Amino acid sequence: MSDAITLILMTAPTQTLVADCIAADRFAALSAQAIAALPVVHGARPATLGDFFRVRGERASVVRIEGDCAWIEAIGSGMAGGELVIDGSVGRDLGVAMSGGRIDLRGNAGANAGGAPAGAARGMTGGEIIVRGSVGDEAGARMRRGLLVVTGDGGRGTGKGMIAGTVVVCGKAGSGTGRFLKRGSIVALGEVERPATFRYACTYRPPHVALLLRYLGARCRLDVASAQVTGRYERYSGDLAELGKGELLRWVGE
Amino acid sequence: MKINGVAIEDTFAEAFTMRVARLLITGRTLGWAREAAVKLTGFATSVIGCKCEAGIERELRDDETPDGRPGVSVLFLTMDKASLPEQLIVRVGQTVLTCPTTACFDGLPEAPDRLPVGKALRVFGDGFQASKVIGGKRYWRLPVMEGEFLIEETFGMLKGVGGGNFLILARDADAALASAEAAVAAMTGLPGVILPFPGGVVRSGSKVGSQRYKNLIATTNDAFAPTLKAVTQSQLPEVVNSVLEIVLDGTDGPSIEAAMRAGIRAACRPGVQTITAGNYGGRLGPHHFYLRKILG
Repeated sequence: MSDAITLILMTAPTQTLVADCIAADRFAALSAQAIAALPVVHGARPATLGDFFRVRGERASVVRIEGDCAWIEAIGSGMAGGELVIDGSVGRDLGVAMSGGRIDLRGNAGANAGGAPAGAARGMTGGEIIVRGSVGDEAGARMRRGLLVVTGDGGRGTGKGMIAGTVVVCGKAGSGTGRFLKRGSIVALGEVERPATFRYACTYRPPHVALLLRYLGARCRLDVASAQVTGRYERYSGDLAELGKGELLRWVGE
Repeated sequence: MKINGVAIEDTFAEAFTMRVARLLITGRTLGWAREAAVKLTGFATSVIGCKCEAGIERELRDDETPDGRPGVSVLFLTMDKASLPEQLIVRVGQTVLTCPTTACFDGLPEAPDRLPVGKALRVFGDGFQASKVIGGKRYWRLPVMEGEFLIEETFGMLKGVGGGNFLILARDADAALASAEAAVAAMTGLPGVILPFPGGVVRSGSKVGSQRYKNLIATTNDAFAPTLKAVTQSQLPEVVNSVLEIVLDGTDGPSIEAAMRAGIRAACRPGVQTITAGNYGGRLGPHHFYLRKILG
């Protein structure tokens, strides 16, 4: 048993690599050999994780991935616990259908981070995804529970169709952010375009945002300005074309 | 044993096992947090008449609270498991929820027994309430006229200690009061302890039951009442003309001991004859705090 497992990218994939076997909780019971033997799909061909990564350590629920994984999709798919730290960018479907644990990405993520598998009604149902970069389209789409934090920009349709949970976008949020939101919160610290089906409620200091941002600063070492912690936010209720119990909170300053 | 010429009687304080919760109340300013805490802990001196005992443990700096605002830590004790959530739900709902700018957090996060205080109060939101899970804890957001009230879903409950005490036997009322005030000042802010009575001091210590009225569960402690020295089996020396009691509740025995040590030392002032403690011969309470052992 090791303190952590490290996956070091040795052979960069030449096509899309679907590596939905990479999840911290799944590795907790596996030896290094068993991890290396886990199946992946390279292009349309079956392969193993060991064909691309060198595995260091075994039987740990803290997993670190080193290397540029921009071609690798579905990392952390269905993860239920543990911690996954990724040094580099990843492809689409990061933490898709995740239910627990934490993914800490030091890079950009492709589309559908924290979202739902194709055809599924629900996206992530728990856990935390911290993206220290930007995300592609529809991050957090149909999220049921959990936390997605994007320190960079959000793509189009961020938090689209969220059922509950929280999405924080520190940079610019893309168009259609929060559209079809049922419940849940989208906290926009940067520029955001309000969907027409959201209605302004008030400008106030939401206590849960202060709590959340302090938590992110302390636990995740995110650089959060005190003006954002204690600041005022415009609250927009929506999506009124849906259930309308969600909110878009836009930071407007101290 | 004597401290500053004050005799420390060879006896012990007898205390009871109670259930305790710790609430952290924050506000936009310390003043508003304290305002809520004072109202919350009002009329909570003794389980005999108030069904609970509560008090302000200490003030909290911005960096000691979950939301980074100034706050106040409150301890709340009852005799049994069932009445602690009942008291908290009613009192938090009427005093903290109503107080501008405040939020309410659990101060015993490690306690396995959880009281669903926020979960019960959430229905004040009439269906407009919303929950948030932050760092693995669930919070409820209740829309109110001012904005939003935030409260943690559950609060921890531990076995605590209630009824730690010592008595100040003084030559006159002024000396007794000055001694009690010094003791309270020395004990205020110590961790894990509250002094639930007014200003931390009790002038009307009680005995169990009544000599005269069948239905009363507590009546005046005539053995320590100076005006009854001539007509009752008094335990007061001739020179003693006033007695005040300090009652302490806490999260655990060592916290009570530490506070008693600080308080008794501070209470040993000119005009004080003896420091003693109240007990029932060791028959009622499992916690015995021997004065000389604590001070030794």
